[in-house]
Amino acid sequence: MKDDTTTGKRVLCILADHLRPILSYLPPRLRLNLKKLLFILLEMKKLGYYWRLFPGVFWLVVFLVLPLSVMLIYSFWTKVGYDMIPTWTLQNYVDIFVGEKGLYVRLLLKSLGISAAVTLGSIALAYPVAYYISTRGGKYKYVLLALIMTPYLVSWVILILGWRMIIGHSGLVNTLLVGVGLERVKLWKTWMAVIIVLVISWAPWLVLPIFVSLEKIDRTLLEAGADLGASPSENFRKITLPLSVPGLLVATFFVMIPTFGEFVAPVIAGGTSGATIGTAIEEAFKRMNYPFGSAMSFLLVGIALIASFVLIRKTGLRTLMESL
Amino acid sequence: MLRGKRILSTYFYLFLLVIYLSPLSLLAFSFNNSLSAGFPWRGFTLRWWDAFFSDPVAPTTVKNSFVLAVAVAVVATLMGLGLAFVLVRRVFRGKNVLLSSLLVPIAIPYLLIGTSLFLLLQWTLDLKLSLFTLALGHILVALPYSSLVLMARLIGFDRSLEEAAQDLGATGFTTFRKITFPLIKPGIFVSMFLTFIISLEDVAIASFLAGSDPTVPYFVYGRLRRFEGLPLVMALSSFMVLIALAFTCLFLISAIRAKRE
Repeated sequence: MKDDTTTGKRVLCILADHLRPILSYLPPRLRLNLKKLLFILLEMKKLGYYWRLFPGVFWLVVFLVLPLSVMLIYSFWTKVGYDMIPTWTLQNYVDIFVGEKGLYVRLLLKSLGISAAVTLGSIALAYPVAYYISTRGGKYKYVLLALIMTPYLVSWVILILGWRMIIGHSGLVNTLLVGVGLERVKLWKTWMAVIIVLVISWAPWLVLPIFVSLEKIDRTLLEAGADLGASPSENFRKITLPLSVPGLLVATFFVMIPTFGEFVAPVIAGGTSGATIGTAIEEAFKRMNYPFGSAMSFLLVGIALIASFVLIRKTGLRTLMESL
Repeated sequence: MLRGKRILSTYFYLFLLVIYLSPLSLLAFSFNNSLSAGFPWRGFTLRWWDAFFSDPVAPTTVKNSFVLAVAVAVVATLMGLGLAFVLVRRVFRGKNVLLSSLLVPIAIPYLLIGTSLFLLLQWTLDLKLSLFTLALGHILVALPYSSLVLMARLIGFDRSLEEAAQDLGATGFTTFRKITFPLIKPGIFVSMFLTFIISLEDVAIASFLAGSDPTVPYFVYGRLRRFEGLPLVMALSSFMVLIALAFTCLFLISAIRAKRE
């Protein structure tokens, strides 16, 4: 803010005016020091604006940088019984890649696969919805958006129980299938259930960023396209879709990163066949194998940061901000 | 072309149906007189709701969740305001470093915020895990959202309004109260709403940091995982569904009223 420096300067000028007669009685050396002091005060006043950063920066340093560094250090330690001893060994990282016949590498790949499938699936579900609201919502746009968001206000973990009643062993789908005289399908406790639950939980959340990017498209472009003889589907393919790419990238960022470390849906909906790297980390922490858990966590931090960096670089911070 | 439009609107209503399927069936089957949560329907009962309200833990989880979410929303928004003002209006050394580290909490899975804070707070500092330690983690992941929302608001902000107020002799605080705050108020609302939801939704961080003060999602997760007392969980879940529906109704009523005026 401009006011800080200007009022500060004004006050100091008045102060200096009043002090000048007194200053002239002082020995020159002291006079110089007083001037210096006033100058320092002015500088501090200018810096005063930055105290606003303090709480946030403090939080980031103490609760983000510090814990991550602690975790990095622990990932080189060794587990002995229920305790850890400080060593500098790479064994934990080696174990991820060669331990249990490559189990953890497979889990990591599975997590990446699930995360990609969920991202694609939920964007595919959300895009037409956002398109519908943006083009056909009229004055009810925000009412429709609120209706879409409501189930999300209930924690999605809670809704998993609801999904168990629908695609579970004796759920709605199977009841209907048996009623028609068909075989039951086993969905629950398979990785398919994990993907279904995650896709449906994420889709409403993604409607928002996609909707924002669709709203930003200049409608006159579409009119121009139509005037030049483009069919609506051509218009969509050549104008709407390319221009909504930023929204799609933001949506990708929002789903892919959390899903990559997901362990709740895999545990509940996937059972034993739903194991991912997320469940492996949770398991390691439960068994108090902190060094190994830390090593896996840190590997995930690295992969997620690289992926996010690429995505944010592509979208730009501005688009990310405005999609919220 | 007309057919395409019809397919689109059919799809939209189908989508609405699918996303409401889970909360509505939870609500319906919380009155089902059966020990197995779900099909088939065995008659109406209120005993699960009764069990929920007389349970020693379940109702307190609702209180925990809401107290936590409100606290997180307020603190994260205030911190976000400070960060957003300086990041938008000043150029300083290390600004890019600050911006990118601000994004880190949402650029890594929540699970890792949980594990790293757990190692620091519980294992290294030997703190007792509680709602307070959970709030530390939630504020951290809410901070990027609140700062980004407020930054977006401040970037499109006409500074000359503030300067005009100051030329007319307003002090810094008066300017903020009369000019700046009313203009960024929508941003503050969005930020509070987003951070509130983030805290209310989260289970990944809660399962590492909540300790003996479970929030609703963490409590439900524990029960689902051990597969016990599910009818009670259904009543608890339905309670949350009702709160969400009430919230939406309030929003819709206020939106309609605002439109009329």
